[in-house]
Amino acid sequence: MNFSTLEEVGNKERQRQEKYQRRIFCCTSTACLSAGAGQVHTTLDQAVAACKCDEHEAEVVKTGCMGLCSSGPLVRVEEKEVDPVLYGNVSQEMAQYIVSRHVPMGEIEEEVDSEEQDESVTPHDMLHYRASLRRARTQTELDNTIISLDHPFFSKQVKVVLNETGRINPDKLEDYLAHGGYKALAHVLDKMTPEEVCNEILDSGLRGRGGAGFPTGLKWNFVRQEGAENKFVIVNGDEGDPGAYMDRTVMEDDPHRVLEGMIICAYAVGASHGYLYIRGEYPIAVDRIRKAIRAARRRKILGKSVLGTKFGFNAEVRIGAGAFVCGEETALIHSVEGKRGMPRIRPPYPSTSGLWEAPTVINNVETMGNVPSIITRGAKWYSSIGTEKSKGTKVFALAGHLRNTGLIEVPMGITLREIVYDIGGGIPDDRQFKAAQTGGPSGGCIPAEFLDTPVDYESLTKLGSIMGSGGLVIIDDSTNMPDFANFFMDFCEDESCGKCIPCRVGTVQISKLLDKLISGEGKPEDLEKLDKLCQLVKSTSLCGLGQSAPNPVLSTLKYFGNEYDILVQPTQTVEAGES
Amino acid sequence: MVELTIDGQKVMAHPGTSVLDAALANNIDIPRLCHHPELSVSGGCRLCIVNVEGNPNPTPSCGLTCEDGMSIETQNAELYQTRREIIDLFISEHPLDCVTCDKSGACLLQKYAYEFGISKTSHEFEISKPIYQDDNPFFIRDHQYCILCGRCVRVCDEIVGARAIDFAGRGFECHIATPFDDPMKDSTCVFCGNCVQVCPTAALTPVSRLGKGREWELERVKTICGYCGVGCQIEYALNDGEIIYAQSTPDAPVNSEFLCTKGRYGWDFATDPERLTSPMLRRDLAYELGLTSEPWVLPDRSPLKVRKPKIDDSFIPVDWDTALDLVAGTLAKTVNEYGPDSVMGLASARCTNEENYIFQKFMRLGIGTNNLDHCARL
Repeated sequence: MNFSTLEEVGNKERQRQEKYQRRIFCCTSTACLSAGAGQVHTTLDQAVAACKCDEHEAEVVKTGCMGLCSSGPLVRVEEKEVDPVLYGNVSQEMAQYIVSRHVPMGEIEEEVDSEEQDESVTPHDMLHYRASLRRARTQTELDNTIISLDHPFFSKQVKVVLNETGRINPDKLEDYLAHGGYKALAHVLDKMTPEEVCNEILDSGLRGRGGAGFPTGLKWNFVRQEGAENKFVIVNGDEGDPGAYMDRTVMEDDPHRVLEGMIICAYAVGASHGYLYIRGEYPIAVDRIRKAIRAARRRKILGKSVLGTKFGFNAEVRIGAGAFVCGEETALIHSVEGKRGMPRIRPPYPSTSGLWEAPTVINNVETMGNVPSIITRGAKWYSSIGTEKSKGTKVFALAGHLRNTGLIEVPMGITLREIVYDIGGGIPDDRQFKAAQTGGPSGGCIPAEFLDTPVDYESLTKLGSIMGSGGLVIIDDSTNMPDFANFFMDFCEDESCGKCIPCRVGTVQISKLLDKLISGEGKPEDLEKLDKLCQLVKSTSLCGLGQSAPNPVLSTLKYFGNEYDILVQPTQTVEAGES
Repeated sequence: MVELTIDGQKVMAHPGTSVLDAALANNIDIPRLCHHPELSVSGGCRLCIVNVEGNPNPTPSCGLTCEDGMSIETQNAELYQTRREIIDLFISEHPLDCVTCDKSGACLLQKYAYEFGISKTSHEFEISKPIYQDDNPFFIRDHQYCILCGRCVRVCDEIVGARAIDFAGRGFECHIATPFDDPMKDSTCVFCGNCVQVCPTAALTPVSRLGKGREWELERVKTICGYCGVGCQIEYALNDGEIIYAQSTPDAPVNSEFLCTKGRYGWDFATDPERLTSPMLRRDLAYELGLTSEPWVLPDRSPLKVRKPKIDDSFIPVDWDTALDLVAGTLAKTVNEYGPDSVMGLASARCTNEENYIFQKFMRLGIGTNNLDHCARL
């Protein structure tokens, strides 16, 4: 099957969608599902059915994340010639109101034989709905739940990876095709050599979104130049930072984008097999990626002959068993091989000896998500976004003490202040901003004085933090920093694999020292010891987990040292919020 | 060959050699716990860190490949301090029971604690894995002494191929375990004891050795294993003439440090009172030759049916000269009377290659026959 057939499928789907007067999008991403989006979706479906309107009046679409997860479940109504409306915190009852407001009511045909009706809606249900829908016409409180789409939360964002999430049905390949999906792959297979693909990615300035920021094109070139018979592509979806869910969202809500990026990568480096390593706690992501793989196989996007060319590629899902350390590339490779997920000493790097000792590309989900857009819109366009050394956009999971929390995609180089006060809407409850924690347990805390720092790889590293995979926790002045650092230390202590001594025992001893300090039994020399121990763990640990584990402690020691000093002064007790 | 500088000394190394191996080959000692020359690289103990010129962070030398023009520094005040702090972390979870410990004197951690002058941890002491397992008759596993160097796991995987043990649990709870922490006998363990051999601490100790003397008191006797023709070298450790345990030494030409279960644990025959220590001659033959005055009497019941026949009932001990004279005389007589092909030689698989070679030479040239075979062919 070549691409023109697929394009036709996409066109048909687009025409089908255009027939609808209005489309009601309901977010079914994990965040909204846990807030009750499942029932909301069912209610929307039933309510539209109960309206008995013309077939092309309305369609309910199960879609992905719309960003403002703190206000979930989210429902967006897109009507022809009318601005889209976004509703937040939608309950089942409100879902009915939404339908009654937007969808015209058809005539009820009294004489209809009940056996001919849709089985999902009984006559009793239908009458009940119609009654409630009529009542809803008078409701005005619905207006209070409308979220303005002009809000800086939306207007300051630049969507590349998340461009289609919230617009398409992740379970439907046709929907992805209707939005220009697999065009990049077709272009690459038709018009570009592997070398050109690698150079295009290199020119775009795309850097690894897993946190370390290694230039993706360079990594691909390393693997491309290896002469091995077998090469592999691995997509790292073992996202484990507390509070971070960028990769989960991309996998759940736009699985074909990840797959497309992966196939392009495989073509560029000459790999014939790939693995998507997905965290075991992400059942929906696993499910949707598997569905996507199945659909892609049926449409010959995966298989012996990708889109009718000589290039063949297959992808498989591997599910992680819940170890944070498996996000580290060598540990992940061991896990895919069926061994215990423990990092090994590098070099050799996976690009020379990775999975089953074959050259292997390992890229984060978000990195792969950028690839189709770079191919379609060009390296020049991509490198026009961002700063000199950090190009493109970055997805962050914005969390903590903020008015608006959720999933955002911002251009590199945006300041923390813009993220916190414009997108995040500032700190609620008249509290003050205290610190921004980037990069999860491996990152550090950035204090208020650096709010105007641009968010890019170099600037964050200079401040003693890291870009990380995209966790961004905002802390207000009610938080005690030693407590905060201790939380992350406990996390690393539990997640250490046990292979190297600084990480296995060092983190435990740091934790013990912090506990001692927080309980008020610390002495001034303990602070010095804490600093020394953190430096030891940082400089001598085997893998990234251990090397970055002391970052939360070191950065809080650096910027909030006074809170530690108070702990070792015998007569005073620390007041939360002193800074 | 690549040329690099280690501590100012020009060193030649084969491409692909690790810096640690290159240094050791040139008598430059670098502290290390998890490294073992016969096993793959782990890099977990972090003691072998060295400074590479142009690299800001110290790098473990075991995983660092020699490159042309590399300049390495293995000793300086900063590295010493870092190594000292790492040892300090090791003993913050390793009980310093050296005064009663059986491994004392042969323990690598003890050696480094001594070298770095650490008598006590500066951290809060806590045993991470207080597990004691004596689920088999060959070795005990006392996890509180385990430093998780992973040598046992690697030897079991890479040398033995049994893959009976691996790391289990995470972080501070991490320990070496059989699948599902089941008893050792239910695992794929073949009880070769090579894990015990490579263990640098007292985490794995032979049962026979417990409480039987300090390492430096033991007498060492080297011998060749008699169980099969491979000819592994064994070193017995003896206390007061009694074998305490068997091990091998790295200089053993055939087997390096590794032995099989028979060689390592099957030595109780050596001091068994029933062991034959001189040639024995059949009693009836001895009577004929006038070596004894007591004739051999057929037992009341068939010897095959006697539950525990005494060897003295049917044999008498003689000296080597008598025995060899008798055998040589009888053989010569047979060959003279009936020709060389009336004799056949059957050698034992427990003889070494060299012994078997001599035996066939004797049969072919001495006796003059090709009637020759070997029990391993059966």
